[in-house]
Amino acid sequence: MSAHETAFDSSLGAYLLLLPTLAAIGAFLYYPSLQTLRLSLYETFLFGQNTRFVGLGNFASLLTSNTYLASVGLTFGFAAFVVVSTLAVGLLVAFLLYEVTNGKAAYLIAAIWPYALPTAVAGTVLLFLAHPSVGIYTFYLESWFGVEVDWFTVGWQAFLVVAIAAVWKQVGYNVIFMLAALNNVPESLNEACDLDGVGTWRRLLRVYVPLMSPTLVFLVVMNTIYAFFGSFALIDLMTQGGPTNATNLLIYQLYRDAFQFNNLGLASAESVILFVIVAGLTYVQLRVSDRYAHY
Amino acid sequence: MAAETRREAVSEASSPTRLVPGQLPVHVGLVVSILLMASPLLLAIVMSTQTVPEIYDIGDITPGSDGLANYVSVLTTYNMLTYMANSLIMSVLVTVGKIAVSLLAAVALVFYDFRFKNGVFFLILFTLMFPVPVRIVPLYELMATLGWSNTLLALTGPYLASATAVFLLRQHFMSIPESLVEAARVDGVGPLEFLWRVLVPMSRGMITGLGVITFIYSWNQYLWPLIVVSDQNKQVVQVGMKYLQSVGNAGQTDWGLIMAGAVLTLLPPLAVLIAFRNPLLETFGLAE
Repeated sequence: MSAHETAFDSSLGAYLLLLPTLAAIGAFLYYPSLQTLRLSLYETFLFGQNTRFVGLGNFASLLTSNTYLASVGLTFGFAAFVVVSTLAVGLLVAFLLYEVTNGKAAYLIAAIWPYALPTAVAGTVLLFLAHPSVGIYTFYLESWFGVEVDWFTVGWQAFLVVAIAAVWKQVGYNVIFMLAALNNVPESLNEACDLDGVGTWRRLLRVYVPLMSPTLVFLVVMNTIYAFFGSFALIDLMTQGGPTNATNLLIYQLYRDAFQFNNLGLASAESVILFVIVAGLTYVQLRVSDRYAHY
Repeated sequence: MAAETRREAVSEASSPTRLVPGQLPVHVGLVVSILLMASPLLLAIVMSTQTVPEIYDIGDITPGSDGLANYVSVLTTYNMLTYMANSLIMSVLVTVGKIAVSLLAAVALVFYDFRFKNGVFFLILFTLMFPVPVRIVPLYELMATLGWSNTLLALTGPYLASATAVFLLRQHFMSIPESLVEAARVDGVGPLEFLWRVLVPMSRGMITGLGVITFIYSWNQYLWPLIVVSDQNKQVVQVGMKYLQSVGNAGQTDWGLIMAGAVLTLLPPLAVLIAFRNPLLETFGLAE
C-alpha cells in the first residue's frame, strides 16, 4: 500500500472529513432525485396539496401526448444542431490557434472569452440585435439579402436564432479542450506530415481528429447536456417556447408543467425521462472512450 | 542524412520568430472568427450608449448621445446594483464553500484507508447524473419545507457538494510526492494541518482554476434562482435582466438600458476569466 493511503489511519477521521460532502449530496442530490422518482408515480392537484397514486400513468400520458413527443424530437434536433455546429466552429478555431506562431496568447484569450458569457446575456443581446423590428442584424439581413426575418412568428427562424445563441456561448469551452488535445499530438507526427506533404485540411481531418477522439466524445456529451439544460435561459428570455412550440425544448416544457401549471407529478415524470437521457449519454461516452482511447 | 537536412529545413521554416508566408491565412482566419464572436458584444456596448429614439433609428451603429447614463440608471433606478451584489455574494459563497468542502473530502479519499472507500467515491461521482432539472420539483419543495425560499441558503446550499471538484482535487493530491506524505506522518502532523500547510500551498494553481470555474458557473445560474427566489430584492442579476425587458415608454422598449444591463452582467465573470486565465487553462489541461 502506498504511503498516501496510510498517511492517517482513522476511519472515523476520514468520515468526518467526508461528512460535509456526504451530507450535502444526501440532502440536495440523492434525496430529491429519489423523491422525483416517487413523485413521478403520483398525480398532483391543488398546487401539490393532494396527490393520487397513478403508477406509470404520467409516463403513459407523456408518451402519448403529441406536444410532448414533438418536444422530444425538437430537443434532439436542437441538440444535434448545437453539437455539430459547436464542434465544427470550435475545431476550426482550435486548429487555427494551434497553427498560429505569433501572438498565440492574445488570440487564445480573444477566442475563448465566451466561456465566461452568461447564457442569459447571450440571449438578451441576440434578442435585441436580431429583433424582427428593431434588430441591427435583421436590418442588414433584410436590406442586403432580401430575406424576410420574422422569428417571432416563423418557427424555424426562432429555432435558428436560439441555436446560434447557444453555439456562441458554447464555442469557447470547446476550443479550450480541443486545443489541449491538439497540444498532445506528438511533434514527430507533425514532422512526418510535413515531410510527406500532407495538406493542411487533410492533416486536420485525417490525423488530428482521430487522435482527438476521446476529447471529442467528451465534448459531444457535454454539449448535448448543455443543449438539453443550459439553453433554458435562452428560451425563457427569447421565445418562451414559441412561436407555436417551435422552440419548446423539454427543459422549458418541464418548467412550465412544474411551475406555471403546478403539475408536479407530471413534471417529475419529465425529470425522470431527462435523467434516463443523461444517464444513457454518459454511458455511451464511457463505452466509446474505452474503445477509442488512443492515448 | 538527406532526410535529416530536410527535417532541419522544415523545423526552421516553422520557427516562431519569423512570420512564415503560410501563416497569413491563419491570422486572417483567427481575426475573422474572433471578430464574429465579439461582434454581438461590441454592438451591445455601442447600443448601450443610445437613447430610445436613437435605438429606433435602426441602422445607426454610432455611439449614442446617452454616454453612461443608461449604466447609471440601470444600476440605481432599475436595481441592477442590488442584483449584482446578490450575485456576487452568492457566487463567492458557493466558490469558497465548494472548494473548502471538496478539499476535505479529497484529503479523506487520498490519504486515508477506510471501509467502503471506493463506494463513497462512486457515490460522489454518481451525482454527475443528477443535474438540477432532474431533481427540481422535490428540491424546490425541500427549500419551502426548510423555510429557505428567497434566502441565500437556497441559492448556495444545493451547490456546495461537487463531484467535479472532488475528482480534480483527488487527482491532484495523488500526484503529491510520497516523501512529503511520509515526512508529515513521521512528524505527526494532523490531517487539517497537513492540508493547510502542505496541500493547499502545493495546489494553488489547481484551486485557483477550480475557483474560476465555480465562480463563472455560479454567476451564470439562471433557472434555479428564477424558481427559488420570488422576492425581487433578493434576486440575482441573470434573472434581473428578465425584469429589465419590460422597461420602456409608450410601447418602445428601452433597449439601450437593457444592453447596459447585459454588459454589466458579463463584466464580473469576464474580468475573472481574464485575470486568472493561466490557472484556469492549466486546470483544463491547457498549460501555457
